[in-house]
Amino acid sequence: MSDQVLSRDDLPVTTEGDVVTVRRRAQAVAQARGLGTFAVAAVTTAASELARNTLTHGRGGDASVEAVARDGRQGVRLTFRDQGPGIADLSRALAGGFSTARSLGLGLSGSRRLVDEFDIDTTPGKGTVVTVIKWARF
Amino acid sequence: MVTNFMHRLNIDDRGLASRRAFFEITDEDLARLATHRGLAESHSGEVVEKLYHLLLGHPESRAFFPDDSSVRRVKQLQHTYFLGLFEGRCDLAYVENRLRVGAAHERIGLAPQWYIGAYGRYLRLIFDHLFGELGAAEAQAAVQSATKLVLFDMSLAIDTYIAANLDTVARHQAAIREMSTPVIKVHQGVLLLPLIGTVDSHRAEQIMETLLMRVVEEQARAVIVDIAGVPLVDTMVADHLLKTTEAVRLLGAQTILTGISAQIARTIVQLGVDISAMHTRARLADGIVLALSLLGREITAKAP
Repeated sequence: MSDQVLSRDDLPVTTEGDVVTVRRRAQAVAQARGLGTFAVAAVTTAASELARNTLTHGRGGDASVEAVARDGRQGVRLTFRDQGPGIADLSRALAGGFSTARSLGLGLSGSRRLVDEFDIDTTPGKGTVVTVIKWARF
Repeated sequence: MVTNFMHRLNIDDRGLASRRAFFEITDEDLARLATHRGLAESHSGEVVEKLYHLLLGHPESRAFFPDDSSVRRVKQLQHTYFLGLFEGRCDLAYVENRLRVGAAHERIGLAPQWYIGAYGRYLRLIFDHLFGELGAAEAQAAVQSATKLVLFDMSLAIDTYIAANLDTVARHQAAIREMSTPVIKVHQGVLLLPLIGTVDSHRAEQIMETLLMRVVEEQARAVIVDIAGVPLVDTMVADHLLKTTEAVRLLGAQTILTGISAQIARTIVQLGVDISAMHTRARLADGIVLALSLLGREITAKAP
């Protein structure tokens, strides 16, 4: 991907407070890039879900919130990294309704539907990197 | 106040011994400083003047000294403080005295930046005098001892400042927690819980407990949860709402979710969360109408 990065914030994800900080940053960047109110709500919620995954499943990690541009389109790119146990059954986790933490189990599948681009790289025992992008409409 | 800090910083005989050991303050250090007390007394006036030259020379630190009489008062305290370094003791009474200084700084809002800078000036002034008037070996030993004790004092001042700040934060958190779960009785058998702000796991649990207690107390049949003040509903918040709904249902009441914005409605659908266990209405007013109808009542216009 040859996305132009306009700004980048690296944030820790080690407490529940950090989850709030990450999603507020994602919301601010999305608003600044001109995303509509629905898109802002979607990417903010995805940020909250994915940051919480990093915290609870990945045993903490960090996140980047970037303002990006591609072919004149503006958007926000979120990257979440952890060195946790990884996801053993990725297709099941992405299908939704399956949880290892007695919750709804919709965080990953739901986030995927909330964003325009979704990329996940997970290695059992090594960790997980999730990258998502939400674009402003033309 | 100071006794409280002694306790908070874990300073009893053992805590003090451990802190002193970490700063490597020995009885020899204290005795050595005591032998220089005469020198300290003869320069104390000048040291204090130069220290206040620094503090009064910066507008930000100057602001902490409103008038000449307050400057005179703190200079006098500073004399005592300075000579305290050369008294040859570092016991509980000494620490208590030092903590009083930290507490006073915290009370007036003097941030560590200012007194760390002032301690720096202090050390340089002490160095100058010791090296100016003692033999090299003696001066070096005295400077080492003085540095240990000044850094020890600094640690107490900063720890006091942090402890006082944490107390303030804890007080605010407790106040916010109390304010954040108001359960309002709207009508006989109808409760309203207006949620405002971020719902984290800790708060969600408290909300559920408070609400369930009130449902039992008021024998409520309908509970309105208004989320107009909640910035976002992710799966964790949705999960908490659904679990609360289920618990409320076990007590024989129904839950109505109101204050749902168009954006949140769309997000919930995209997340794939099924909230059909709750009645939903966009506006609180409609939620109240629904709650009353669940109780077999309705709001009607007055007969003309």
